[in-house]
Amino acid sequence: MTHLRHLLPFVARYRRRLLAGALCAAIAAAVSALGPFVLRLAVDAFAAEQFAAASLLRYSSLLIVVALAEGCFRFLQRMFFSGTAFHIEFDLRAALFAHYLRLDQAFFGRNHTGDLMARATNDLSAVRQVLGPGLNGSATAVFTFVAAATFMLAIDRALALMVLLLLPVTTLIFVLLGGRMRAAFTRVQDQFGALSTRAQEHFSGIRTIKAYAQEEAELAVFAEDNRRYRDLNLRYVLLSGLLWPSMTLCLGVVAALVLFVGGRKVAAGAMSVGELVQFNAYLGLLAFPMIILGWMLSLYQQAAASMGRLVEVLHQPPAIASPPRALPLPAPRGAVEYREVGVRFTEDSAPEMAGRATPWMLQDVSFSVPPGGSLAIVGATGAGKTTLVGLLARVRDPDTGAVFLDGLDVRRIDLADLRRAIAYVPQETFLFSLPLRANVAFGVDESDAPDLEARLGRAVEVSRLVNDLHQFPDGLDTLVGERGVTLSGGQKQRVAIARAVLRDPAVLVLDDALSSVDAHTAAQILAGLREVMRDRTSIIIAQRIATVREADQIILLHEGRIVERGTHAELLRLGGRYAAMYRRELLAAEVEG
Amino acid sequence: MSPGFDEDTILGKAYDARLVRRLSVFVAPHWRPLLVAALLLVGAMLTEIVPPLLVQRAIDGPISAGRLEGLAPIFALYLGVLLATFALRYAHTYLINRVGQTVMQDLRVTLFRHIQRLSLSFFDRNPVGRLLTRITNDVDALNEFLTEGLILILADLVTLIGIVTIMFTLNWRLALISLATLPVLALIVSIYQRLMRATYRLVRQRLAQINAYLNEQIGGVLVTQLFGRERASRARFHTLNDSYVEANLRSVLIFALFLPSVQLMAAIATAALLYGGGQGLLAGWATLGPLAAFILYTERASQPIRNLAERYTVLQAAMASAERIFGVLDTQEEVRDPARPATLPTPVRGEIAFHNVTFGYDPAEPVLKGISLTIPAGQAVAVVGATGAGKSSLVSLIARFYDVQEGAITLDGVDIRDLPQRELRRHVAAVPQDPVCFSGTIASNIRLHSNTITDEQVRRAAELVNAAAFIERLPGGYNYEVRERGANLSVGQRQLLAFARALAFNPEVLLVLDEATSSVDTETEALIQTALERMLRGRTSIIIAHRLSTIRHVDRIIVLHQGRVVEDGSHEELLARHGYYYRLYQLQFAGQGLAPAAGIPKG
Repeated sequence: MTHLRHLLPFVARYRRRLLAGALCAAIAAAVSALGPFVLRLAVDAFAAEQFAAASLLRYSSLLIVVALAEGCFRFLQRMFFSGTAFHIEFDLRAALFAHYLRLDQAFFGRNHTGDLMARATNDLSAVRQVLGPGLNGSATAVFTFVAAATFMLAIDRALALMVLLLLPVTTLIFVLLGGRMRAAFTRVQDQFGALSTRAQEHFSGIRTIKAYAQEEAELAVFAEDNRRYRDLNLRYVLLSGLLWPSMTLCLGVVAALVLFVGGRKVAAGAMSVGELVQFNAYLGLLAFPMIILGWMLSLYQQAAASMGRLVEVLHQPPAIASPPRALPLPAPRGAVEYREVGVRFTEDSAPEMAGRATPWMLQDVSFSVPPGGSLAIVGATGAGKTTLVGLLARVRDPDTGAVFLDGLDVRRIDLADLRRAIAYVPQETFLFSLPLRANVAFGVDESDAPDLEARLGRAVEVSRLVNDLHQFPDGLDTLVGERGVTLSGGQKQRVAIARAVLRDPAVLVLDDALSSVDAHTAAQILAGLREVMRDRTSIIIAQRIATVREADQIILLHEGRIVERGTHAELLRLGGRYAAMYRRELLAAEVEG
Repeated sequence: MSPGFDEDTILGKAYDARLVRRLSVFVAPHWRPLLVAALLLVGAMLTEIVPPLLVQRAIDGPISAGRLEGLAPIFALYLGVLLATFALRYAHTYLINRVGQTVMQDLRVTLFRHIQRLSLSFFDRNPVGRLLTRITNDVDALNEFLTEGLILILADLVTLIGIVTIMFTLNWRLALISLATLPVLALIVSIYQRLMRATYRLVRQRLAQINAYLNEQIGGVLVTQLFGRERASRARFHTLNDSYVEANLRSVLIFALFLPSVQLMAAIATAALLYGGGQGLLAGWATLGPLAAFILYTERASQPIRNLAERYTVLQAAMASAERIFGVLDTQEEVRDPARPATLPTPVRGEIAFHNVTFGYDPAEPVLKGISLTIPAGQAVAVVGATGAGKSSLVSLIARFYDVQEGAITLDGVDIRDLPQRELRRHVAAVPQDPVCFSGTIASNIRLHSNTITDEQVRRAAELVNAAAFIERLPGGYNYEVRERGANLSVGQRQLLAFARALAFNPEVLLVLDEATSSVDTETEALIQTALERMLRGRTSIIIAHRLSTIRHVDRIIVLHQGRVVEDGSHEELLARHGYYYRLYQLQFAGQGLAPAAGIPKG
């Protein structure tokens, strides 16, 4: 429950509006209690059979005036409460999003996208519910109760006390039943999850099921899950079906009692018919707010749980962040050095290792690249190449050793400056659903790049994206992604290269970024890159020898260690793994050709 | 963007006679409880309109007359009516839901049965998520149609007619006065509904935009961070967030206007009754009791009208779901069991023959072109070739996951299309490329849900393929809980489980798609190798080989190139020929001589 206190700073900004809402609720409640009073005056006049046609008109118009006035204040009240709830939801969502952008890859590895999405949608809306309908409903309930109670007590103390004591029973029923309903519903949802998982696994693994002719057996299991789901649903209905009938019954009994006890008083002359009608009208006025109050409590519980899940993310410190006294890096030169770097597997990547010290993914890796130099990294899938180059831009930090840029430990450099110095083209190209132009210009601010158009043209040229521009309906303005065109793997990679080139970085990192580009185009791109990267440092991971042979220095990673290093010619002479890779590549060219 | 975040269901007709007729097939068996449920509801509706009448009786009778003792019977009757309403309502809710849940259960099982019968080409076309939506959300929408759509509309009508009848019986002049505002109320509700529907669509669209953006940003967060674009992303998100709030505020405004106007209408109706009734009292055509009853009835008569808007949406959603469900149920299975199945000669020996087989997933682009070959019973064969040569298709055809376009495949001389699929697959088992695991126990992953495989057979199969050692180390052994997609097992362990599964079913013909996995450690790799060797022994086996060591265990090698058999013979024969296999061998396997454990680098 205490989780909701984290909401206070977000709510405090809007306290004036919320106070105004509460004031409107109070006035509306007071006005609404006048309606039954007018009704009573009219009925009493009728009962006494002493009234003029003119007074009829007066009572009628008074009733309408009261309804109008109440309507105005109710309108304002709702606008204040619900409107504010949406503003607070806005603030919370913005805070959550900003925090997501700060968090590190390890966090995103641990948490599924679906779960992070759920927090930004379902949980946020649960919190908004308690602020909007929740506050609105409870304000109405509390003030209406007070206003109606005041009038009822003034009419007849005993009858009023009876009603005021019995009405909260509805709230109580709602709370009691609601709690058990929630528990039953959780079981229904769990079973629903089991059912969906079963169906999902079945359809995903349909090849296996069909291969072993297990359709009938699977159907039997699914049918059994289904039967359980139905039974749990019916158990839930046994409770939920009770809710409204018991509310109606409870309110009905109070109404019947009022008629009975009040009727006796009227018959005995202790009360007027008008007062009885007024009493009855208050019952009508209070019925809904009492039920709302019960609903409020369940909203409150859900919101507290949801806020807990939000706070869990919001209070998660990012593992990768600028240090407190960060060193600025205004003019990076691009000297890269890895010194005895070691990285352990994370638990997520090795599930069978849970709880034990995970083995090394990279161990004792050292090398240095001078400004303007080039380094190529080769090795089998899973050798740790991507992890290795990721350390430079601090995708994660090493467990031992250190990485230096221009002689400074990257962990001491201002994060924004560090990343500005490096353009990293990852293995998995990520394009945003934006026009091609915006995807290429992703890394630069339009405001501080007056010659953007010319530079963009150059980047498109170097990445050979220019070869394919005629294929896109609107050239560079073509929208990419689900709602636009789908690019081929090679086209995506060239967009990513153009994006990196446009940043004009001190260090360019290509992580297998030419794998889907055909050999001919790849050669063109490499030639273009050599041109623009003449005074820049470059680090290239590749599977094709042709891509790496020109590098000043080549290292071969095997099971997390550097096992061979040197130039292309030196490594061929060595006759080891690198030489074998090269032979296979030549053969492959022959077989395919 | 993942599916579901931006699906804005377009709603069409609220009633489609053709769909309702087809649905009624599922509902028809339950007509008895359904009828009872409807009667209970009508009963509840009728008892619910009694209390105002009792109020009228009490006021006109004992209260005006000052007879205290006359109140007690009315009070007792009142309580009785309340209890009856409670019982009728509760019984109705339970009954209608029981019918609804049972119909859903039938529908789900029917859908499941139908979907799993469809051929693999259907699964290639339809993502799993879509199939799940059919079985869950769409079926639920139909349940709402049953429990909250049709019957409640009936109930609303009963209430409305009942109240109008009572009003006119009590006093037709007062009835006319109090019903005068109902058309205006109906108008307000329909305007509100139209405005709200448009606004809700806007809200949903903008929420979908936020979700799509959020999803994309979470997916590409690393790129955003590395390129230092956090501020730009926040600004864009701010805009989306803002337009969402704006749409929501519009809905708040509409709702905040709607509620007071409905209440104002109620107040006007009461005021009109007061005025008209007062005139009636003066003129002598009205009394006080009915007036009180009328004030209560006017309130109740407005409820069904306010409900209409909601019911309409439920009907629309149900029709859209029914359309989609029947779309799936109408899909024909492409691989079908024969009308008069043939039987295999016993005992099954396991001889496989291809007779001039041509096949393509798209018939215009054949993957296999005129394949003819015979694999005698008990022979182990490896199929090799470059990616796209048609290796996996060859294996899929033997298991009859797809049907050939030309030619025929026979098992022990019988065309496999003449056999029931169940029968065929009892003798031919395929170990898929991607070792599939299901949530359940280790044992249930080996025997699936077959009840013909004993614990002993499960254990023996696991021992044969070298899986027993790791299984026994797991907490709980064979009862160890395997998580979804086998997330708590390593790739190598999953591979061994898939092998154990194949052996547990003890087929005469074994098809293995052997995937070279670089993430398997040296030790497991060795286990897999010996397991494979044991599995092949004495069994017709066809293996898509990726490992040199696998090739060494087989009797014969078939080389596929662009959908044709180009070479066929033993390893030594083919090497000596210095042809395609020779070059392929150099390319794929030569490197493994240096490091048997390392995977082959891609590219």
